[in-house]
Amino acid sequence: MINIGVFKFASCDGCQLSFFEIVEEILKIGDINISFFLEAQSKNRFDEFDISFVEGSISTPEDIELIKKIREKSKKVVTIGACATSGGIQSIRNYLNYKEILEYVYPSPEYINSLEKSHPSSDFIEVDYELRGCPINKKHLLEVINSFLLNKTPNLPRYPVCLECKIKGNPCVLVLGKPCLGSITVAGCGSICPSYNRGCYGCFGPIEKPNIEHLQEIFKEKGFKGDMFEDILTSFNAYNRTYREQYEKES
Amino acid sequence: MKKRVDILTRVEGEGKIIINEKDGKIESVVLNIFEPPRFIEGILVGRKYDVIPDITARICGICPVAYQMSGVQAIESAFGIDVSREVEKLRKLYYYGEWIQSHSIHVFFLHLPDFYGKSSIFEIAKERAEILKDALRIKSVGGKIVEIIGGRVVHPVSVKAGGFTRYPEKEELKSLIPLIEESIELAKKYTEEFSKLNFPEDNIIGNLQFVSLYGDDEYAILNGRIVSDRGLDIDKDEFKEVFKEFQVGSSTAKKCRIYGKNVYIVGAMSRFNNNYEKLSDEALRLSKKINLSPPVKNSFKSILVRMVEIVHSMEKAIEIIKTYEKPEVETEFKTKRSEGTGVSEAPRGVLWHKYSFDEYGIILSADIVPPTSQNQDIMEINTYNFIKFMTEKEKILTFAERVVRNYDPCISCATHLISLD
Repeated sequence: MINIGVFKFASCDGCQLSFFEIVEEILKIGDINISFFLEAQSKNRFDEFDISFVEGSISTPEDIELIKKIREKSKKVVTIGACATSGGIQSIRNYLNYKEILEYVYPSPEYINSLEKSHPSSDFIEVDYELRGCPINKKHLLEVINSFLLNKTPNLPRYPVCLECKIKGNPCVLVLGKPCLGSITVAGCGSICPSYNRGCYGCFGPIEKPNIEHLQEIFKEKGFKGDMFEDILTSFNAYNRTYREQYEKES
Repeated sequence: MKKRVDILTRVEGEGKIIINEKDGKIESVVLNIFEPPRFIEGILVGRKYDVIPDITARICGICPVAYQMSGVQAIESAFGIDVSREVEKLRKLYYYGEWIQSHSIHVFFLHLPDFYGKSSIFEIAKERAEILKDALRIKSVGGKIVEIIGGRVVHPVSVKAGGFTRYPEKEELKSLIPLIEESIELAKKYTEEFSKLNFPEDNIIGNLQFVSLYGDDEYAILNGRIVSDRGLDIDKDEFKEVFKEFQVGSSTAKKCRIYGKNVYIVGAMSRFNNNYEKLSDEALRLSKKINLSPPVKNSFKSILVRMVEIVHSMEKAIEIIKTYEKPEVETEFKTKRSEGTGVSEAPRGVLWHKYSFDEYGIILSADIVPPTSQNQDIMEINTYNFIKFMTEKEKILTFAERVVRNYDPCISCATHLISLD
């Protein structure tokens, strides 16, 4: 019997919903016991887990304690989605003035219990596998579960979105004059945005060693105005290691 | 003073109910939302108007379309963009897709186990496997509609000011009709079955007002005036003048009431009570058959109202698909220094946005009021009234949680507004 836990930190719940989408497939695998999943069931046990899935970014002191406890009790920890993997949309604040934002959103900021920065799980614990995407692709979730059961490495794309466009036969939206991060963003969504006549906005986060400078030059050449490049880059995966290192190097 | 704390399960997001007792009597109920804040409004300021549909969608993974629709309407109001009839029809179809998807998750996965005394739908499925299968089928109708129009179910990508980045071909949409027709029958069957469930007596009492959108020609979803069953009737621009937030005694939570004093409720029950006669033919026939008519005041019966709205959404979806023509013209517009509001009926009720922009379309301010923050007050009152004379600990906790769940609260949505204890 495989014990699974599904946990949530700061997030929109969108990645957890994937479990509802693949529930029939999970039941077919058999021998799986979901022992902790607050959103799906009222009886939950925090015991020992074979695999723990973590959604959401670490944003409060209590979150840090809980993620460490989850690590202790779990054989494998898998982050699901941009929040848990890269800090999520809320990590845009990591590059802004925290106090200003806090006071802007909350009339009584003294009651808000929050860390200044929104962190990926990997800032505090060792993570066995990180699932990308805002939201994740449900097929990837199933691939991870199956792979761990079979004791193999999940087979998920490491190539950029561009390749998915080529396979689909999409005309290149960057060439057509739309700002697109496809060349530096890891594939997995099925190149949805270019298929819907818009540029990729990087919700699966960067590939390994992305050529950021070159794409930035292309953006300039194309005449995309203002901080468009930085704005797209520092959005759904704002606190991703790659962007973070680049940012810290620059400042 | 004794405190009982119960962690909420089977809701969107994370929260707990705190039940305060004194001398063996229940004194008050507090719904505490302990999700960490995500500062979405603060993040929006300084960015360009076109990020609104993408970024606000991330407030909620179960109702991203609602955020996109209220948001884009605010942009269009600000810049004076006229939306064509065809675009408006497609947006409604897109939104019906989300109602179907979100309602089926709540009805089957989150709410139904309460009536079966089970921990989850998986437990129900051990005895009745077909329920899970049918639930997924009904839900998939909504998912497929959103996916075709928006590219994916969670955080779809195609919404922009004036329309969509891509318009589906008529054939793509038409291919869904057999599935929808079949699912209407399935949804009707389950509605009739659920109408025979055991509903505890629960009359939401007091000076409560049912608040929803209202349109002359249909069961409002995408836009309309903001009305109540007691004669309130205002434009979206007047929202903040009427719905006032205030701080309650020693609590740090903020509540929202009409003129700061009248308790109100938003969501499926309010929509049903205010728009009943505008339901689609099948949905209206179904309501009559199960004796569900306004005013519905028993919050446990919201499961039936959501089922009726699923049937309504499916029937309207077919109607739109049959007359759909792919829009051809791109809407041109210019940004200007301005402000605009947007309001629509999210699956959980009235969702209001307001933004101001500079002449380049940069966001200067952002204000979002989600339905769950508006319902916090009535959820606490309803829970308190329901459990105040109960004495068994187990029963108190079970029913407190059940009443809150009747409202389908989305705590991920509410978090970004309410101060935390």
